Amino acid sequence: MSNIIIKLDKVGIGYAGREVLSGISVSICRFSFTAILGANGSGKTTLLKTILGLLPPVAGRMEAAPSGERLIFGYVPQASRLDPVYLLTGFEVALMGVYGRVRPGRFVPQAERALTRQCLQATGAEEFSHRRFSELSGGQKQRVLIARALATHPDILLLDEPTAGVDHAATQAVMEFISQLHKESKITVLLVTHDLAAAHRYAEQVIWLDDGKVFQGPVDKLLTAEHFNEILTGTMD
Amino acid sequence: MDALLQILSPSFLLRNSVYTSVLIGIACPLVGVFIVMRRLVFMGVALPQISSTGVAFALSLPLWLGFHLADHGVQAAHTLAFAGSIVFSLAAILLLAFLERRGRGQPEGRLGTAYVVAAAAGILLLAKNPYGEIGWLDMLKGEVIAISNFDLGLTIAMLTLVLMVLLLFQKELIMVSFDREMACILHKNVVFWDALLYILIGLTVSVSVLSVGPLIAFGFLLIPALIAHRFARNMSLLMTWASLIGGVTAFIGFWIAYQYDLPVGPTDVLLLGTTYALIWMAAGILERHEKSSKFTED
Repeated sequence: MSNIIIKLDKVGIGYAGREVLSGISVSICRFSFTAILGANGSGKTTLLKTILGLLPPVAGRMEAAPSGERLIFGYVPQASRLDPVYLLTGFEVALMGVYGRVRPGRFVPQAERALTRQCLQATGAEEFSHRRFSELSGGQKQRVLIARALATHPDILLLDEPTAGVDHAATQAVMEFISQLHKESKITVLLVTHDLAAAHRYAEQVIWLDDGKVFQGPVDKLLTAEHFNEILTGTMD
Repeated sequence: MDALLQILSPSFLLRNSVYTSVLIGIACPLVGVFIVMRRLVFMGVALPQISSTGVAFALSLPLWLGFHLADHGVQAAHTLAFAGSIVFSLAAILLLAFLERRGRGQPEGRLGTAYVVAAAAGILLLAKNPYGEIGWLDMLKGEVIAISNFDLGLTIAMLTLVLMVLLLFQKELIMVSFDREMACILHKNVVFWDALLYILIGLTVSVSVLSVGPLIAFGFLLIPALIAHRFARNMSLLMTWASLIGGVTAFIGFWIAYQYDLPVGPTDVLLLGTTYALIWMAAGILERHEKSSKFTED
C-alpha cells in the first residue's frame, strides 16, 4: 500500500480560474507532520483549501488517498474567521465535528456527544466548553476547534495558522499539543504557518512557497541557513 | 381593559387580524434570526419592498390583460397577490444570494439599489392602477384590518412550515451559516441548505407582506432577533425568545392600536423599537454594574 495520502501533480491553484501558483508537485505521506511555510500572500491558505477540496485545482491533477479510500479531513480554521455574532458555546462548536455522521433531521446521538466531550477533554478545552465560543481567548478557541477536528475521526489534521493572534505561551501550548497528538495518535498533520521556529521544532517535512516557487523536503535539509540563502537569492532548484 | 376583553373575545370582528398579527410576530423572528446572524439586514429591508412590488405587479396584470379582477371575487385577487409576492421574493432572494456567492461588487450597493428600484417600480405600477392603489396604501400604512380567512390560513401554513423546517434542520442551517467551509468539508450540500433557508425567508416575507405589509414584516424580521440577542444564551433560546417577543409585541401593539384608533403596523414597530432601546440601555447599565463590581472585588 502506498504511503502517500495526498498527491499533487503539476497542480495550478487559485481563485475563479485565476492561477496564484502553478506547477505544484508535492506529496503528503501518511503519519507525517508537514508544515506549509511562506510569506503573507504566498498562497499557503489557497494550497490548503485546494487540498481540502474547497477550491478546485485550476490545472493539473490532485489525488487525495490514491489508494482509493475516502479521506476524512479534520480542518482547523483560523478562529478569527468565525463570526462572533453566533451564540454558540465551545461545546456546540466542537459538536459540529460529528455532524458528518449524523443524518439531516436527526438529533445528535448521546454516543457522539460523549465523543465530543472526550475530544474537548483531550485538548484541555473541557473546562471552558460551556462558555460562549466568541468570548474565549485565542488559544482557548483553537483548542475547541482542534477538538472539533478530532471529533470528525480524521485521517489527516489540517490546521490553518492555528497560532495566529495567539500569545506566546498559548502558541507553545497549542503546538506542543498538536505535536503530542501526532506522535501518540499517529495522526497525519498538515500545518500552515509563517512561524519558522515552530515549523523547525515540530514538523518533519516542509513545503515552502516562495515567490511562485514551491520547495518540499525534510526539515533538517530545507530549513538550514544554506538553503534559506539559496531561496532568498533565488538560486535554489 | 374593555378593549382587551373585546380583542380576546372569540366573536371579535377583527379576530383574523389579531391572529394573523400574532402569528406573523412569531414566525418572522424565527427566520429573522438567520438574517441577523448572516448579516443580511439590508436584504431584510429590500426583500419586503420587492415582495410588495410583486403584489403591485400582480394586481396590475389583469388591467394590462384587459379583464376585471372584481368579476372573479376577492379570493382571486388574494391568490394573484400572493403569487406575485412569492415569485418576486423568491426570484430576488435567489438572485441576490447568487450574486453574493460570486462575491463581486458591493452587496450593500446591490441591495440598496434593489430596494429603491422596487419602491419606485411599485409606485409607477400603482399610478395607473386604482384597484392596486387602495390595497397598496393599506399595505404601506400597515393596516392589519381586512384579513381574510385565506390570509389567516396562509399564515398558519407558513408558520407551521417554518417551525417544522427549523426544528428538523436547525443544526444543518446553523452550521452552514456559521462555518460554511466546515460544512463543505463534511460533505454537506451547502447549496441545498442555503436554498432551503432562502426559500423559507422568501416565503415568510411574502406571506407577511401580503397580510401586514412591508413595514411590519421588516420590523418583525429584524428587531425581535436583535432584542433577544442581548440576553439569549444559545441559538435555540435566541430563536425562542425572538419569536416570543415578536408574538407578544404583536398582540400588545394590536391592543394599543385598537384602544387608541391607531394603525397597527406603525404601532407594532414603534413598540418593538422602544423595547429594543430599553433592553439595550438596561443591558448597558447591567454590564457597567458588573464591571464596577469586578473592579471593586479586585
